[in-house]
Amino acid sequence: MTYQEEFAQRFGEAVSFDPQILRSYDHDLGEMPRPLLAMIRHRPDVVVVARSAGDTADALRLAGKHGLPVTPRAQASSGYGGAIPCRGGLVLDLCNCNRVLSVDAANATVDVEPGVVWEDLSRALAPHGLGNRVCPTSAPSSTVGGWFAMGGVGIGSLRYGTIRDNVLEIDVAGLDGAVRTFRGEAMEPYSQTCGSLGVVTRLRLACRKAETLLPLAARMPDAPAAVRFLELLEAWPDVYSASLQSAGYCAMRAAAEGHAPALASGFLVSFATTAKETATAEATRLAALCGGALLDDAVAEAEWNGRYYPMRIRKVGPSALVGEYLVPMQGFPAAHAALTAALKRDALGVEAFGVRGGGLAVLVYILDDARALLYPLRMAKAMLPMRLAARFGGRPYATGMWFSALAGEVFGPDKLALVRRLKAQLDARGLLNPGKLSGPGLPLAPFVSLSRCILAGTACLGPLAALLPSKPRRTS
Amino acid sequence: MSTQAFSPVAPDRFPASELAEAVASCARCGFCKVACPTFPFGGGFETFSPRAKVYFLKDYFEGRDVLTPEWVDRLYRCTTCERCQAVCQTAIPLVPLWEAVRADVVARGLGPMPAHKKLRALAEAHGNPYGEPADKQSQWLLPEHKPVEAADILVFGGCTASYRMPSMLQTGVTILTRLAIPYAYAGGLENCCASPLLRTGQLDVAGELIGRNLDLFARTGARTIVTPCGGCSKTLKHDYPQWARKLGKPFDVTVRHFSEVYADLLRQGRIRPSVPVEATVTFHDPCHVGRSQGLFDEPREILAAIPGVKLVEMPRCRESSRCCGAGGGVKANYPEMAAAIAKDRLEEAVATGADTLVTMCPFCQGSFSQAIKETDASIGLCGLEELLLASLPEAR
Ligand SMILES: Cc1cc2nc3c(=O)[nH]c(=O)nc-3n(C[C@H](O)[C@H](O)[C@H](O)COP(=O)(O)OP(=O)(O)OC[C@H]3O[C@@H](n4cnc5c(N)ncnc54)[C@H](O)[C@@H]3O)c2cc1C
Ligand code: SF4
Ligand code: SF4
Repeated sequence: MTYQEEFAQRFGEAVSFDPQILRSYDHDLGEMPRPLLAMIRHRPDVVVVARSAGDTADALRLAGKHGLPVTPRAQASSGYGGAIPCRGGLVLDLCNCNRVLSVDAANATVDVEPGVVWEDLSRALAPHGLGNRVCPTSAPSSTVGGWFAMGGVGIGSLRYGTIRDNVLEIDVAGLDGAVRTFRGEAMEPYSQTCGSLGVVTRLRLACRKAETLLPLAARMPDAPAAVRFLELLEAWPDVYSASLQSAGYCAMRAAAEGHAPALASGFLVSFATTAKETATAEATRLAALCGGALLDDAVAEAEWNGRYYPMRIRKVGPSALVGEYLVPMQGFPAAHAALTAALKRDALGVEAFGVRGGGLAVLVYILDDARALLYPLRMAKAMLPMRLAARFGGRPYATGMWFSALAGEVFGPDKLALVRRLKAQLDARGLLNPGKLSGPGLPLAPFVSLSRCILAGTACLGPLAALLPSKPRRTS
Repeated sequence: MSTQAFSPVAPDRFPASELAEAVASCARCGFCKVACPTFPFGGGFETFSPRAKVYFLKDYFEGRDVLTPEWVDRLYRCTTCERCQAVCQTAIPLVPLWEAVRADVVARGLGPMPAHKKLRALAEAHGNPYGEPADKQSQWLLPEHKPVEAADILVFGGCTASYRMPSMLQTGVTILTRLAIPYAYAGGLENCCASPLLRTGQLDVAGELIGRNLDLFARTGARTIVTPCGGCSKTLKHDYPQWARKLGKPFDVTVRHFSEVYADLLRQGRIRPSVPVEATVTFHDPCHVGRSQGLFDEPREILAAIPGVKLVEMPRCRESSRCCGAGGGVKANYPEMAAAIAKDRLEEAVATGADTLVTMCPFCQGSFSQAIKETDASIGLCGLEELLLASLPEAR
């Protein structure tokens, strides 16, 4: 039997070879230049919509049998290319593996299938008096499995750390069709590696006791003050989550939403604490210690209510170049100053999430238009924040496909060595999400990594790109 | 196709350049995909999601993809419920986009879908998409109803209420009658508001019906048009002003859904619900009344004023209310999908433990009454006004 026949027999209506359907699976969030995409086989040959761990395991077994590359895909709300195939093959759509399997209210844990959407999970936990400890700001669409496989920080990370810190146990399906359970340290290789070692079919998450949160916001005069404030917030046990926004970002947001910016200079720190009577007074005291002040309740509420809409700013783009990096809080002011100096022709918007342990996950936005002729060149600017931050203790945020050459910096050398060893053991033919640990090869030079070319190309073009301001097409 | 060649709904509503700009700003976040009630009926394939449709349209506008019959079909698998638009990361006016594209599909002879063509033929022949004779239009009037020749208020029954689900219309008019509020009614002369035709992209015949209604409204001299129907009120409020401009006809009236009238009467103290109605109810926000017109508080205000009524909200209510599955021509062409969506929503209602599902649009009422029949669900169904009327003391 051909693989087409075997997949059709096993999956019936849940498999498609229709070119129109396949086309919807050849991209993610990122707006990569077409010539770059043309260097890889980003369109799958077959898509399977899995609805259970059994479906996932069977799809992997068949892919293994027929030597078909497999790209797991959840909501494709990441922009690093991790959910995009680079050698065609099978895309395994996991969005319908979306059942909350069991809630253990006494131990504050929940078992879920990987396609459960964060916001749905929070709705399902509420009747049990529980809530998500962490979630990305894409919570209305992104999935638990996708975030674990991608790695990252978000809402709640100031108190609870990364997604990895809050996963207690996982089941992973391999190419042999078997599903294995991992806990503790043994889970580590499966986080951040984009399904390159197997597809996660169940996760057990630690939850927090649900409590009413009070959103607050403060104005800080500059980056050092904002960082100092975040450090104080981290030390205050009642604070659940905190993020900062530059005045530039506030301006972009205001333009997109049609209101006046919350501040004209400095930084806005938006945070949520346990709703205690003393919270506002304590926040006021801490803000004053840093030379700042608390903002109106209305601003705080608008920020908290708008927390899932970081990209509303694209309304005035219509696109945005996005640079991302992780940095110790103390390194942020210098990294930010260096970036502002390097991109002085551009209006920058900065948003950053506080991470437990004095870290900051920083996003830098530059509004642009992906349809413009020079956009591919200007894209080189998106790498500058990460490069400059490296001087101040910063490191890349994630790998996916486009930055797979940075795996060593993202994972650390020990984890990278372990992951490579496991990859060789579990997937010698490189079928599990190929191109995400070491980058896809170039079409005419398969041993040259596309990811390395992207890094080298953007390093060369960065200075030139910095001279080309990205102009928003509309300002209101 | 280039965006220059694009022929959107009403020229001043959504120009081609704005369409291109709107789809370009899609962040591909997928919020719309998770929110969409019709997406799951595409087998779970991304291609059936609003996000994929926007992605396709971007390529289509830029000449990199073509409208195949399959894409036309996907574009019609949408109830125009506005959920996608309500959650959109970049605030893209998605429903005007879907409608503009459908109009373009029709203009190119690639659509609409077969059942929509039937609606059109019936509306052309009879002035309503049910193919009913004009003399049956006022069959719902009760003996006590006394419409006057000319009044400030003109009751616009709408086709679904007049011909199929009359209870809301009847009750609303009974309330007006009880309060001795004069109203006119042009039974037999009303044309379809054109909502089903506008939503399915059939603009030429929609324009004709709208033109006839605009003439009728002008003849009655009414200042306010009141209707019980979500689709009619949305269309009269949002589409008619543009069409009036386009057709060069006057339209100097205020349009109100019946719930707005009840809420006003309540606030003015002109109705005082005092007879207890012992019921635990859950409320379904009709998409075209709630999201389209922002009428979320009014029905709740009315329910809260009725003694004995206890409201238990469904988890998805107000802005995030789920669709009943009927709108946008879906019930006509994809009846099975529409029925399944209605059953999903009905399940949510039953799960609240309420004994009655209350709504305020005859179209939703039609969907739910069918779903209740088919599933044998143990929940009652009624219009908001029926509870209200039951709580009003009998006129002495
Ligand atoms: C508006 C918006 C806000 C965002 N905010 C944040 C944020 O706060 N923090 C953050 O870190 N990111 C954020 N992101 C990026 C993105 O949403 C996250 O990375 C998200 O967790 C990805 O989830 P997904 O379900 O979309 O996964 P996908 O993008 O589909 O997949 C991510 C990777 O995981 C792999 N994968 C998916 N499921 C599995 C599985 N079950 N087993 C193995 N591998 C799998 C895929 O192959 C891919 O490589 C944001 C994106 C948007 C659009
Ligand atoms: S209007 Fe409703 S049915 Fe149509 S795409 Fe949007 S969410 Fe889906
Ligand atoms: S919600 Fe809006 S921005 Fe997000 S994918 Fe859908 S259309 Fe695009």
